[in-house]
Amino acid sequence: MRARDDSRKGGRGPSRAAGRRGALLRGVVVGLVMLGCVAGVVAFQVTRPARSAADPAVFVPSPKFFRDLSPSFRTAVADAYWLAMVQYYGEHVKGDGQFDALPAYVRLVTDLSPRFERAYMFGSFALLDAGEGQEAYELLVRGARRNPDSWRIMVTLGMLIYTYADSPDKDKLAAEWYEKAAAVPGSPDYIPRVAAELLTKGGEEAKSALMWGQVYATGDTYARDKALVELDELLPRDPQQRKEALQPLAALMTPQQFLTLSSILMGVLETP
Amino acid sequence: MSRAFAIAANTFRETIRDRILLVILVFALAMIVASLWLASISLGQEARLMQDFGLVAVSGFGVIVAVFVSAGLVRKEIDKRTVFIIFSKPVGRGEFIAGKFLGLSATMAIVVFGMTVFLFLLVWAVAGEPSGRLLVAGGFIYLQVLVVMAVTIFFSTFAAPVLAAVLGLCVFAAGQLSHNVLSLTQLGENAVLEGLSWVVFLVVPNFSAVSLTPVVVGEQVADWSTISGWGGYLVAYAVIMLGLSWLVFRRKEF
Repeated sequence: MRARDDSRKGGRGPSRAAGRRGALLRGVVVGLVMLGCVAGVVAFQVTRPARSAADPAVFVPSPKFFRDLSPSFRTAVADAYWLAMVQYYGEHVKGDGQFDALPAYVRLVTDLSPRFERAYMFGSFALLDAGEGQEAYELLVRGARRNPDSWRIMVTLGMLIYTYADSPDKDKLAAEWYEKAAAVPGSPDYIPRVAAELLTKGGEEAKSALMWGQVYATGDTYARDKALVELDELLPRDPQQRKEALQPLAALMTPQQFLTLSSILMGVLETP
Repeated sequence: MSRAFAIAANTFRETIRDRILLVILVFALAMIVASLWLASISLGQEARLMQDFGLVAVSGFGVIVAVFVSAGLVRKEIDKRTVFIIFSKPVGRGEFIAGKFLGLSATMAIVVFGMTVFLFLLVWAVAGEPSGRLLVAGGFIYLQVLVVMAVTIFFSTFAAPVLAAVLGLCVFAAGQLSHNVLSLTQLGENAVLEGLSWVVFLVVPNFSAVSLTPVVVGEQVADWSTISGWGGYLVAYAVIMLGLSWLVFRRKEF
């Protein structure tokens, strides 16, 4: 009986040592197999081809497809596509400049989340980059209709009309949107002044600078970068003249914002 | 009633021992990572996206935990034969079901409100201002979780835990789409199908009509009377399901 027990426990003396060697061997084999598997998994992943250049023609589902989802998840889907849209724009604006799927993205996000203010504003600028001026205009008109309390969308629409419309009445049309924005409770005090300025004769460059100045004042990081580029092109190259041309923009923003804007636009002149 | 509370307290202790509260930790870690990620890619919309995705996550985590725990709640007592000890004492079937439900409700309150409060603090830190609507939305998710729990407990009174869990999840999914059933009732010309669609529409909990997530992100406006109406609907639905569970369970012989 005892002999059987000993053999169960691995025995004594040489048999016990053999048992230990066996356990050690099993441990080594298991360790080697695990190591081999880890190496295989890592090797598989690191040898995957890098992501191919982004394709401008991406499938974007129709808003109808998601409209049947519960409202509690509809906005989450809109947010997920917002991220995809920003990513898509970022990839192509620095790459091939092709934005085939952008209008569909913008439509999907704004239809699923009609009160997503930033989506209208970013979408309109991105559509302009894509050469879809009419689409950008229609998007902002749709946004203004769905968000009658959003002065930002109306101001962006006024700016877009003034800057890109090919109409002799563009000053008047843009001023109308600024007046609508001024009527929204809580809108900034400078908006009526911009509307009045638009209706004065001449001074096209000064008016444009004013438009981009308010984009800088109210926009997100992307809009501010775009406004800086446009303002740099619009404003005179002579430092003194540029300084004077910048002064009217001070009324559109906080002193800190104006200080940053002026230092960037004056600093650009100093760099060769 | 004190017997139901005794069962509730025991169920609460039992579910806490199952380390369900770890879900809050997983949620917190996921949200912290997500907030860092969103801050870099959302173009200034991280607060909105965190609220939206965060509430979906609270709902998802809450429902999954509630379904899988409640599916095994009754069956576990039968398998461990503790149900014989319980019913050898003067405990009614209704008290047993109510106790189990109340105990798990207390656990789920900690789980759902733990996640919601963490999300509230995180959004406050990112957006710079607190959003009280987020807390109310968390309360609504809790009510939805209670309904799903009641439905799953009902299924678990006559089906195996796995089947009860699957059915519970199906009811949750169907509840999110129930407004489509209503549109089906208006499509067909067949009176029988139309009537059947109405029955389905009435039977399935209408989660799609009682969500506060669109209100939190500013897509919808809801006043307090509407919100309390929605809350009343969910509570009434849970009570009906618990009543049905009691009806089925009282016929079981031990």
